Amino acid sequence: MENSQKTRRINNVISVILALTCVAYVYPIVLIFLNSLKSERAISTSRIFEMPNTETFTGVQNYVYGITSMNFLESFWYSLFISVSSVLLILLCCSMCAWYITRVHGKLSSGMYYLCVFSMVVPFQMVMFTLAKTADTLKLNNPYNICIIYLGFGAGLAVFMFTGFMKSMPVEIEEAAMIDGCNPLQIFFRVVCPILKPTMISTAILETMWVWNDYLLPTLVLDIKKYRTIPMAIQYFRGSYGKVEMGPMMACIMLTVLPVVIMYLICQKYIIEGVVAGAVKG
Amino acid sequence: MKAKKLLSLGIACTMAAGLLAGCGSSSGSGSTSTATGDTGTAASTSGASGKVYYLNFKPEQDQQWQDLAALYTEQTGVPVTVVTAASGEYETTLMSEMAKSDAPTLFQVNGPIGLANWKDYCYDLTGTPILGELTSDTYALKDGDATLGIGYVIESYGLITNKTLLEKAGYTIDDIQSFDDLKKVAEDITARQDELGFAAFSSAGMDSSSDWRYKTHLANLPIYFEYQDEGINSTDDIKGTYLDNYKNIFDLYINNSTCAPTELAGKTADDSRNEFLAGEAVFYQNGSWEYVNLTGEGGLTDDDLAMIPIYIGVGDEANQGLCTGTENYWCVNKEASEEDIQATLDFIYWCVTSEEGTTAMANDMGFVIPFKGAAESTNLFVKQDQEMTAAGKTPVSWNFTTMPSENWKNGVGSALTAYAAGTGTWDGVVSAFVDGWATEAALNEG
Amino acid sequence: MEKTIRKYWPVFVLPTLLAFIIGFIWPFIWGIGLSFCQFTTVKNVTFVGFQNYIKIWADDTFVHAFWFSTAFTIVATALINVLGFLLALLLTRHVRGTNIFRTVYFMPNLIGGVVLGYIWNTLLNGVLTLLEKPLLQLNATYGFWGLVILMCWQQIGYMMIIYIAGLQNVPPDLVEAARIDGATARQVLFRVKIPMVMPSITICTFLTLTNSFKLFDQNLSLTAGEPAKLTQGLAYNIYDTFYARSGAQWKGIGQAKAVVFFLAVVIIALVQLRLTRSKEVQQ
Repeated sequence: MENSQKTRRINNVISVILALTCVAYVYPIVLIFLNSLKSERAISTSRIFEMPNTETFTGVQNYVYGITSMNFLESFWYSLFISVSSVLLILLCCSMCAWYITRVHGKLSSGMYYLCVFSMVVPFQMVMFTLAKTADTLKLNNPYNICIIYLGFGAGLAVFMFTGFMKSMPVEIEEAAMIDGCNPLQIFFRVVCPILKPTMISTAILETMWVWNDYLLPTLVLDIKKYRTIPMAIQYFRGSYGKVEMGPMMACIMLTVLPVVIMYLICQKYIIEGVVAGAVKG
Repeated sequence: MKAKKLLSLGIACTMAAGLLAGCGSSSGSGSTSTATGDTGTAASTSGASGKVYYLNFKPEQDQQWQDLAALYTEQTGVPVTVVTAASGEYETTLMSEMAKSDAPTLFQVNGPIGLANWKDYCYDLTGTPILGELTSDTYALKDGDATLGIGYVIESYGLITNKTLLEKAGYTIDDIQSFDDLKKVAEDITARQDELGFAAFSSAGMDSSSDWRYKTHLANLPIYFEYQDEGINSTDDIKGTYLDNYKNIFDLYINNSTCAPTELAGKTADDSRNEFLAGEAVFYQNGSWEYVNLTGEGGLTDDDLAMIPIYIGVGDEANQGLCTGTENYWCVNKEASEEDIQATLDFIYWCVTSEEGTTAMANDMGFVIPFKGAAESTNLFVKQDQEMTAAGKTPVSWNFTTMPSENWKNGVGSALTAYAAGTGTWDGVVSAFVDGWATEAALNEG
Repeated sequence: MEKTIRKYWPVFVLPTLLAFIIGFIWPFIWGIGLSFCQFTTVKNVTFVGFQNYIKIWADDTFVHAFWFSTAFTIVATALINVLGFLLALLLTRHVRGTNIFRTVYFMPNLIGGVVLGYIWNTLLNGVLTLLEKPLLQLNATYGFWGLVILMCWQQIGYMMIIYIAGLQNVPPDLVEAARIDGATARQVLFRVKIPMVMPSITICTFLTLTNSFKLFDQNLSLTAGEPAKLTQGLAYNIYDTFYARSGAQWKGIGQAKAVVFFLAVVIIALVQLRLTRSKEVQQ
C-alpha cells in the first residue's frame, strides 16, 4: 500500500518532468509560428524571442507573400504528387517482386534480394551525379514520372521489408488457391495482398517520410526551370533574389509543417505501429 | 507452355506501359493546372525553331530579366526561360544544369578564371553581330584567337552616402578626400551617435547574401594597388602588401556600425540596405546596381545620395575614382543545338540593341552596357562615375575576376566573419588571403 | 506452384528490376567508373587512373570531414539511444499523459531535414545572441553541438517508439520473478530489461549510426559547413566538392570521395551485421 503510494508520487513527478520536456519539444515550432506573424525587421537574431506586438504584428501578410511569390502551392502540389505516386508505385512493384523472391528459389530471386540489401547501404552521394544524368537522358525529370527513379532507388528497403514479412507467411493458402485454378496474379491480389496490409502500411509510412522530405534527389533530378518541391523552395528562400526574406520563409516553414502534423495526429496509431513494425523487420 | 510464357510477357509489357502511361497522362492534366503559375514554360515546349535558356547570375535583377524575357517571347515567339541561381550558388547550379541534356544556352563566367573552367563549353563568338556592337575590344573575353565571352555590363561600386545625414553631422562629401578624412568623419559620427541618432556605416553583414561586399569587392582594393605596384594583371602568388590597409578600412566599417561587430555574422544584405534606407547609417558600401532598390517609392532621392570612392589610404587618393569594371561575361553554350545557339545570339543582340532591351537594362536593371546602342542611364551612380572619369580621376579596375576561385573567396569571407566576431584573428584573414591564394592557384594548374 | 510463378517473372520482377537498373545499378557502376576519370560533364571524360584517389588525401577538408562525421556519429548515437531508452522506460511506467507525451516526442521525426535545419538555425542563433556568444556559423564547436541537438530532437522520438515496443515485449512475469528474488530496480533494469530488449538496441544503434554518418540535409541547412568548412560532414563535403568547386579536376575527386564514403558505410554495415548475427546465435 505504502509502496504503491510512493510509486504514484514518483509517477506524478515524472509526469511533470515529461510535460516540461514536451513544452521544450514543441517550443521551436511555436517560436517559428510566432515569428511568422511578425514584420521582417523584428525577426533579427537579437529580437527573435520578442512576442509579436501591435507594432510588429503583420497578421497573415507573410503567408500571403510567401504563397504568392514563391509559388508555394505549386511546390506543394509537386511534393504531394511525387510522394503519392512514388509510394504507390513502390508498394505495388516491390510487394510483387518480394513475393516472387520468397516463393521462387533461383538465381534471379537471390540476385535481386542481395542487390536490394546492398542498395540500402549505398549512400546517395555515390550515385548522385550519374543518377541525375541517367534520369535526364531518359527524361525522367518531371514530377509525373520521377516516381520511377524513386522506385529504383527506394526499392531496396521496400523489398527487404516485404520479404521479411512474407517469409513467415504460410504457403498453404496460396497452394490451395492455385489448386482452385487461380493464376499467380490472382493469387497475389486476392490472397497475398490482404495479408500484407500491415506491412504495406508501415512501408508506405517509411517511404512517404523519405520522399516527402527528400531534398537532394529532386534538386538534382528535377528540371529546375519548371519544378520545385517544398524542400527545394525552402532552401531557395535563402539567398534567392539577393536577400533572405525571413518572414515569408517562416510562414512557408509553418505551411510545410502544419499538414504533416495534422496528418500525423489523425493517423498517429498507424504511423507509430508502422514505425515499430518497420524497425523490427529492418 | 510457350503461349503462356508469351501471355505473361504480354501482361508485363502492358503493365509497364500502363505504369508509364499512368504517369504520362497525369502529366498532361497536371501541367495544364499548374502552367498558369510560370511564364515562358508553356511556350518552351512548343518552340520548334530554337529556344533560349538563360542561367542568370544576378539575383538582384531576377524579376527584371523575367520581364524582359517575357517581352521578347511576346514579340518574337521565341521562348526564353530565365533561371536565377540563389545567391552564392551559381557555380553549383551551373555545374548541375550543364550536365543535363537541356542545358543552359546562355550562361555567365566571371572573367578569365571562370572561363578557364568552362572554355570547352563556350561558343566562339568571333564574327557574330553582337561583337560588332561592343564599344571596346577590352570587353571581349578571349582565349587565344577565339572570343568566348562578352562583358555585358559595366558597374561601379563605392561608398553610397546619405548626403542629408552627412550634413546633419556637419560634413559634406567634399570633406572626404582620403582614408584619413573618412576615418575622422566616421569616428566623429560614432562619438556622437546617441545625439545624432544614426551610425556611420550600415552593418557589414557577413551572411552569404552580403559577405561578397567584403570578401570580393573590398578585397579588390588591396589587390588592385598591389597589381599597380608590380605592373601585373594577375598572379599566382599574392603578396598582400596592402593588407594592413584592408584591415584598417574593415575595422572602420565594423567598429562604426549600426550594430556590434559580434552581430555581423548573421546580418543579411537586406538588413544592411534597410538600415541605410531607414536613415540609420550614413555610408553603405555597395554598387550602382543598388540604385533601383534605394530610390523609388518611399525611398531616397537623388538629392540625398552620392557615391564616393572607397579610400584605403594607398596611392594617389586625390585622383582615385570609383571601382568600375565587369565580372559578368555572357557565354553561349557550344553544346546547344544550332537553332538554340542562333536563338540565343538573337536574344542577346536584341537585348543590347533594341529600344526595349537597352532601356530595360539601363533603367530597370541599372546597368551601363558597353554597347554602341546603349540607352542613356538615369542611374545617379553611373552618372557620377562618368563625371569623375571626365574630371580626370582614375577608376579602380575590377581585379577580383583574377581571384583564383570561389573557394578562395569563401575562405577569406569565413576568416573576415570570424575576425569581426572576435572568434578569429587578423592573422587568419592574412593566411586565408595569401596562403589560400597560393593553394588555390596551384590547384588551378591541375 | 513455384514453377507456375516462375513463368510470371516478367510481371512480378521485371518492373522493379528495370527501375532498379535505371535508378541504382547503372548509376552505381557508372559512378565507380567515373571515379577513375576527370570530367565536367559526361561529354568530356578522360581516364586518369588512381589519381583522384591520391588527390583526396591531399584535400584537408575531406580528412577533416571524415573525423567530423565520425565524432558526430559517436556522440549522436550514444546520446540519442541513451535518451530514447530513458524516455521509453519512463513512458512504460503508466504515468498520466503517456499518450500525449509519446505523440509529441515522435512528431519532429516527420519534419524534413532542410526545414528542421532552418528552424534550429533560427532558434540557436537567437539563444547565442542572447548569451552574447558568436553565432553558429562562426564557431565550429557550437556548430557541432547544434547538429547534435538537432539530431537528438529529431531522432529520440523514433528510437523511443522502438524501445517502448521492445520493453512491452518483456514478459511481466520475468520482471516479477526477479523482484520476488529480491532484485533491486537497478538489477532488474540491467539484468532483465536491457538483455531482453537487446534486439531493439541493435536496430536503434544501426539506424542512428547510419543516419548520423550519412547526414546531409541538416548539415546543409543548419551550418552549411561554416565556418570555413569546419562543420562539414562527409556527405556534405562530397556534395561541396562535386558541385561547388569549379575546376575540371574536382568532379572526379568528388566521385572518388563518394566511393571511399560508400566503402566506409559498407564496413559499418558489415560490422553491424556480424554483431547482430552473433547476438542471434546467443538467443
